[in-house]
Amino acid sequence: MILLEVIPINEPATLQERRKYYREEWDVKKLPDFIKDHMEKREFGFDHLGKGPNDRYRIFRSLEYLKRFMRYKSPFAAYCSVAFYDKPFKRADWIKSELIFDVDAKDIPIRTCQCENVCEICLGEAKEIVSALIDTLKEDLGLKDIYIVYSGRGYHIRVLDETVMKMDSDIRAQILKYLVGSEVPRSEYSTKGDKYQLEHFSIPFGYPKVFTQRFKYAVLHLTPEIKLENISPALFKKVLNNKKYLLNNEWGLFRKNVGPINYKKLVKEISNLNMGLVDAKVSIDLKRILRLPTSLHSKVSMKCMEVKNIEKFDPFKEAVPKFVYERKD
Amino acid sequence: MIIMVSVAFLNPLSVEAEQIVRDMGDLSKIYEQNPDLIHAVDTSKSQTISDNQSIPKNYYELAIKRMEWYIKKKNDKNYNYKDYAFLFNPEISKFDVVAFFILAQAIGIKFNPNSRESKLFVDLQGSIIEERLEELSISERRNICGKILDELIQHDNIKWTFLEEILSSKKLSLHELILDNGDIILDKEDFLERFRDKITHRNPERMYELLIGDPVKELIMIKMIMQKTEDYIKKVNEMSQKVEPHPYLLEVGEKISKILSDNLRYYTTYQGEMKGFRLNPEAFPPCIKLTLNGVQSGNRNDAIVLLLTSFLSYSRLYPSIFRDNVSVKVSDVDPDLKITQNEILPLIYEAAQRCNPPLFDDDPQEKLNITAKLGFGVHEQPELKNEGESKWYTPMSCDKIKIHLPALCKPDKTCKKIGNPLSYYKTKSWQLSQQRKNKEQKSYNNKNPNNNKSKTYKSGDRAENSDPTKSGDDDSIGSDSH
Ligand code: SF4
Ligand SMILES: [Zn+2]
Repeated sequence: MILLEVIPINEPATLQERRKYYREEWDVKKLPDFIKDHMEKREFGFDHLGKGPNDRYRIFRSLEYLKRFMRYKSPFAAYCSVAFYDKPFKRADWIKSELIFDVDAKDIPIRTCQCENVCEICLGEAKEIVSALIDTLKEDLGLKDIYIVYSGRGYHIRVLDETVMKMDSDIRAQILKYLVGSEVPRSEYSTKGDKYQLEHFSIPFGYPKVFTQRFKYAVLHLTPEIKLENISPALFKKVLNNKKYLLNNEWGLFRKNVGPINYKKLVKEISNLNMGLVDAKVSIDLKRILRLPTSLHSKVSMKCMEVKNIEKFDPFKEAVPKFVYERKD
Repeated sequence: MIIMVSVAFLNPLSVEAEQIVRDMGDLSKIYEQNPDLIHAVDTSKSQTISDNQSIPKNYYELAIKRMEWYIKKKNDKNYNYKDYAFLFNPEISKFDVVAFFILAQAIGIKFNPNSRESKLFVDLQGSIIEERLEELSISERRNICGKILDELIQHDNIKWTFLEEILSSKKLSLHELILDNGDIILDKEDFLERFRDKITHRNPERMYELLIGDPVKELIMIKMIMQKTEDYIKKVNEMSQKVEPHPYLLEVGEKISKILSDNLRYYTTYQGEMKGFRLNPEAFPPCIKLTLNGVQSGNRNDAIVLLLTSFLSYSRLYPSIFRDNVSVKVSDVDPDLKITQNEILPLIYEAAQRCNPPLFDDDPQEKLNITAKLGFGVHEQPELKNEGESKWYTPMSCDKIKIHLPALCKPDKTCKKIGNPLSYYKTKSWQLSQQRKNKEQKSYNNKNPNNNKSKTYKSGDRAENSDPTKSGDDDSIGSDSH
């Protein structure tokens, strides 16, 4: 994209630029409602020097305090907890935590771009993944109170349905595995003692359907440059040569051409890779702090912001702070 | 004569069962000989009757038999189904329900809801239902399961979130369920209505049978009853703090405690007194060696509280926990907690203070969490009187470590063969002892025992340890970073 080449986005923001951002552009009222509501129950954390958020255990009883703090300090990075506490200043008396899925463009296991950091291509791929995960959250798990935040390098999916906020790490890990498709789906079923072979792609609902979608996504995004750890070069070539069948959902043909045993191997490999679609550590940690929407990601000079319409969202248009345009190169 | 199995036979917490207890559950009669019970047992199909020992004559004995059956079945190679055939005879339903309540209340009174005794009882209930189902014809089975589920699930659909505790305890995993819009699909009509149009090239009814058929329903039914059993024990436990329990129940509790500790000794690999095993640091896996050297802030709390605590305690006290598959508590091996106090805790505390920043300096409450992970509840120090308030945690699997503490997992050759640091320890200890034997053998043969290089703790294993939560370019930061 042209914008990216013209504007030196990946440059870190200077202190002057941070000040300018928090005094002129940032507006405390633009904080998403899901943050504003019961904000006093969250722990805030700040990184003032770009060396990690070591200013922790902060609380803000009103928007006004937060506003003053941000203007005065113009921090390098700002975070707030996914957890709500009765004593956030001690990180004690935990009440509940948002359920989070962190899709970082840099860490997507299969990226067509192979770039060093993040680029327009992998950010686009992150977007596709986020949409798919949200579909499953809604359609299968019936969750509704879902928000998307552009983090500066990818997306955070934040779920605030009351039914999941009290869940422990173990269930969160299970939800994660279901969403990303990291469980190898069953292919053998039995009833009354008889066994039946039933591949995931012939089951158009439930987990098998989710796995089918993730598998298809992975295979269609394979390029010759990518290496899969447990797949031999010969098999990899076969997969590439036959991936066109998946475009038309001709699964039977794909499986037949690849070979049933190879197909199994591929299923295993992709389910392993899928675990990397989302940063699992973030999802299972009930007390994590996440970058605060509206705050500045100073390292890459981009705004962290809530995304209302993921399909139309273009970070290089909407998440670039004004000072970047004023930079001379 | 065909006996219809009753709901109470499978679900002792059903309305029908409640009625039975109301009619027959007179505690003062639990030691009274009960001819109806004896008759039902005597006439059970394939029941051993030659030996009088195997026939319960009153509620108390029936309750104890129930426990005994489960322990034997799990651990005893000579377990004989025929000794306990009466447990699967629907004619004992009524007595069985009373026995269930005697056990549940005795356990709730004497033990904590999280104790291994409670856990064992819940598992027992699950297992007994499974086996009772096995005895039924397919149609009978389907029929009774339907009835029970109808009662358990009051509304039309269960949301998956309703199974929260079941999911979190791993009794069931999410992907084994068919979910649609938050609902767990169990009913056939419901299934067809939702999915018929999507299914192509296959018969939708057949698909229903394969995917949701009886096994999933039974599983959910069993898990729900187990959950109810657990909840019931919890309730009894709470009540027993307020109301003076019946002395008979206290007696039953004593007896259960005795059976369990006798059996544990009998069926595990330990001979005579259990003293645990001397630690061999050479056989520690890479993740543990790194942890012992002190961990940086990002992984610190979990590495010490979750990983190291369970690893050191089990490898010192009960390294074969996974193979023996029994539930133990620390005091089974270390009755006066001397080993725990003098050997295990010091190692953990030292490693905790070797961290950067030292763990207890800014999170002093983590000491309480360490106590809890050893099974002694949230207290400053492990004390016998608190044992059972929490679970004695087994070390997390390598998979989990890779997610939770990726910086600590630096797999070596032995890691390829195992799935848990404790299994690593067992494998490696064995290898090392074999090597030592070979060496001794060789040096003996060579008559030249000159090259005996020291083979204790290698310092070369110390690896540098990177902090995963570095600068402000992370979008999310773990809870314990500073
Ligand atoms: S594979 Fe397992 S035992 Fe080996 S270092 Fe990793 S976590 Fe530890
Ligand atoms: Zn890229």
